[in-house]
Amino acid sequence: MKYLASCLLGTALAISAITPAMAAGKTVTVVLSEEPDVIDPCEATRSNVGRIVKQNIVETLIEVDPKDGSIKPRLATAWKQTDKLTWQFTLREGVKFHDGSDFNAATAVIAINRNLNPTQDCEIRLKFFGNIKVSPKAIGDYTLEVKTDTTQPILPALMSVMVMSGPKMQPTKGSRQPVGTGPYEFVSWNPGQDVVLKRFDGYWGAKPEAEGARYIWRSESAVRAAMIKANEADIAPNIALQDATDKALDFSYFNSETSRLRIDMSQPPLDDIRVRKAMNYAIDLDALRGSIFSEGVMPMTQIVVPSINGHNPSLKPWPYDPAKARALLAEAKADGVKVDTEILMRGRLNMYPNATEAMEAMHAMLSDVGFNVKLKMVEVASWVESYTRPFAEDRGPVLQQGQHDNNSGDAVFSVYFKYACEGPQSTTCDKQVDDGIAAASAATGDERRKLWQEVMRRLHEDIVPDVQMFHMVGFSRINARLDFTPSISMNSELQIAQVKFK
Amino acid sequence: MHKYLTKRALHSFLSLAGLLVLVFFLARLTGDPGNLYLPIDATLEARQEFTEKHGLNDPIYVQFGRYVVDLAHGDLGESIRKQRPAIDVVLEAIPVTLSLAAVAMIIALLSSIVIGSLAAYRPGGVFDRVASIASLAGASAPDFWVAISAILLFSVTLGWLPTSGMGGPLTWIMPIAILIIRPFGLLVQVVRGSMITVLSSAYVKTARAKGVRERAVIFIHALRNAMLPVITVAGDQAAGIANGAVIVETIFGWPGIGKLMIDSIIQRDFAVIQTSILVTAIVILSINIAVDIAYAILDPRIRHK
Repeated sequence: MKYLASCLLGTALAISAITPAMAAGKTVTVVLSEEPDVIDPCEATRSNVGRIVKQNIVETLIEVDPKDGSIKPRLATAWKQTDKLTWQFTLREGVKFHDGSDFNAATAVIAINRNLNPTQDCEIRLKFFGNIKVSPKAIGDYTLEVKTDTTQPILPALMSVMVMSGPKMQPTKGSRQPVGTGPYEFVSWNPGQDVVLKRFDGYWGAKPEAEGARYIWRSESAVRAAMIKANEADIAPNIALQDATDKALDFSYFNSETSRLRIDMSQPPLDDIRVRKAMNYAIDLDALRGSIFSEGVMPMTQIVVPSINGHNPSLKPWPYDPAKARALLAEAKADGVKVDTEILMRGRLNMYPNATEAMEAMHAMLSDVGFNVKLKMVEVASWVESYTRPFAEDRGPVLQQGQHDNNSGDAVFSVYFKYACEGPQSTTCDKQVDDGIAAASAATGDERRKLWQEVMRRLHEDIVPDVQMFHMVGFSRINARLDFTPSISMNSELQIAQVKFK
Repeated sequence: MHKYLTKRALHSFLSLAGLLVLVFFLARLTGDPGNLYLPIDATLEARQEFTEKHGLNDPIYVQFGRYVVDLAHGDLGESIRKQRPAIDVVLEAIPVTLSLAAVAMIIALLSSIVIGSLAAYRPGGVFDRVASIASLAGASAPDFWVAISAILLFSVTLGWLPTSGMGGPLTWIMPIAILIIRPFGLLVQVVRGSMITVLSSAYVKTARAKGVRERAVIFIHALRNAMLPVITVAGDQAAGIANGAVIVETIFGWPGIGKLMIDSIIQRDFAVIQTSILVTAIVILSINIAVDIAYAILDPRIRHK
C-alpha cells in the first residue's frame, strides 16, 4: 500500500513538473473546427481554408471593409469601368510573391485563370463566377483589364474573393503548398497535426506584429474553448453558444448568417399570402431569443445583414400576434383555401446550434394558431437535394429551414439565388422582383442601393417568401494575451496581421 | 496448425471480398457527393460537370467494374475532397489508431488480469467489492462525458495535462485512460469470473495439496486456463478500438481511422470510405487470427486438433 501511495505521488509530481505546450511568444495559435481538405488558394472561400490563406498567404485585388461593406484597395490601387463590359485595375507596384516572382498584370492574369479554370472544381468559380465568363488581359505592366460577357457593375466587389496565387503554382487544384504575396508565407502542413506560417520579410505592406501562425483543429467546441482557457491556443474562431461562458474571453459578433424558413410559394395553401403572413405572425421571436438562440441575435427583415449594400433599414420585423394569425387563416379558409393541408417543416440537423430545438419550438407555435404542420429533421445531403433545383414535382407544401451567409458586400450575392424566378434555391416567382433584380444588378452607387432596397421592401411586404427568423451571431474565444476583436469577416478570413499582443 | 491458419486466411479473404462489394454498393446508395461538395449556389451545369468528371453518371455496374479493375492494379482511387490517393490518406490515419489501440489494450489487459485475479482470490472480500464496483462503473461510464470532464479538471483547472493533441508522453495520458475504462471494466469482470471457476477446480486443489506456493497457483496454474474467455473478450475489444476510437479521436484531436471513416461517410468520399473499411477489415481479421493463435498457445487441445 505504501509502495502504491509513493508511486501515485511520484507520478503526480512528475506530471505537474512538465507543463503542457503553451501559447507563448509572438506566434498566434488558431484552433479551427476541422482540418482543411486542401490548402489551395482557389478554395479560399471555404471557411477553414480562407481562415488560413486569405489575406495571410494570398491577397485579393480589392478588400471588403467588414464595418460597412465598402470596398478598399489591396493589391489594386485604383479601378474604373471603361465600358459596360470592361473594368480596368491599376495594380500595386513593388510587390513580390513568396517565391521571389514579381506581382504584375501578367501574373494577375495567371492567378485569375487558375481560380476560374473550368476543368477544376474551385469554389471561387462555382460560388461567385458560375454564370459569368471572365476574360482577364494584361494591357500594361501594372494595368489589368477584365472583360465579362454580361454587365458586372460590382466586379470590384467580386474581386474581393479573387485571390492572387503565385504564377509558378501547379495549374490544377489540390495544391498543398500555397504561394502568394501576403504578409505570411507557408512553411508546412503536417496532415492531422498542424499548418504553420511565418512572417514574410519581403512583404510590401507594414510589418505585422505576429511572427507567425500555427493552425490546429479540434472538432469539439468544448475542447476548443478549453484550449484557450488552458492557454494552449490564442483564437478559436467559432465556439458553440453553450461553451461561450466566459465574458472576458468570448466575443459575439454578427457572423453574416441569416436564418429563415423558406416558404414554397408554388404549393397550395402556401400560394396564398394570408397563409404566409399568418405564419410570420405566429412565431414569437422574443421567446426564441435568449433561450434557443443567443441573446445577441437580431430579428431579420430581409435576407442580408445591415452592413451589406442594399439592406433596407426602414423595414420592421413581423410582430408576434397569434390572434391576427388565426384571423388571417380563418379568412383564407372562408375563401376556400385549404388551410388544413398538412405542411412539411423540413429541418437540417446541426445546421446551427439548437437547430432541432428551434424547429420544434416553431412547430409548436405554428400548430398553436391552427396550422397542420409536420416536422422532419434530415441530414445535410438530403437537405441539399430538396433545397436546390431541380425540385421534386410531387413535393407538396414545404417550409424548409435555411441559413444564408453573405459577407461579400452586396445584396446581389443573395437575392438572385433566393428569390428570382430562375434562382437556384428560389421557390418564389414575381415579375416585379425579377425586374428589380435585373435593374439593381446593372446599376451602381446610390441608385443601386435604392433599387435593392425596393426589392427588399417588395419581398418583405408584398411577397412574404419566408418565415423570417434572425440575423445570427457567432462566438469566438480569444486568449487574454491578444488585442484582437473578431468581425463579420471571421466566417471566411482571419487576418493574422491584424492581431496585436497586449 | 499451419493448415488451420491457411484455411482461416482463406475464409478471411472471402469475407473481405464480400465486404468490399457490400460497401461499394451501400456507399452509393447514400447519393451524389456533388450535392455535398459543391457550394449551394453552384449552377446545375456545374453539378452535372462534377458528376460527369468523377464518373458518377455511369451505371453502377460500370462503376463497380472500373473499381475492380483499378483494385487489381493496386489503385484504390482518389479522395474527391482531399485530391490525393485514398490509400495515402488512410495509411496516415491507421497507425494513429493502432498505436492507441495497442497501448490501451496492453495496459487494460495486464491491469485487469492482476486486479481480476486478486478479486477472485477472495470473492466477496473488500478488494473484490471495490474492484467490482470500480470496474462496473468503468464499463458503464459514457466516455464522451468522462473525456470532457477530464479535460476540464486536469487541463483547465489543474493545468497538469494538455487538453488534446498528439505529441509527447503527456498527450497520451488522457486518451489512453479514456480508452481503457470500458475494456478494463469488462475484462476485470471476465478475469474474475473465469478465475473463480478455475480456482475451485480439482487440479488447483491438487496443486495446493502438493504444497505449491499460492502466488504460483494463481498466476501460473489457474491463470493460464482462465485466460481463454479473457482472450476472446480482449480480441473483441481490441477490434472495437481498431475499428476507430471515434470519440477519443474526435475529442482529443487524434487524426485516426475512426474519425476519417465517419467524416468520409458524411462527405460521401467513396474512395476513402472503401479504402478505410478495407484496411480496417484487414486489421480486424488479423486480430482474429492472432486470437486464434493465442488460443492454440494457451490450450494444447486446440493446438493438436
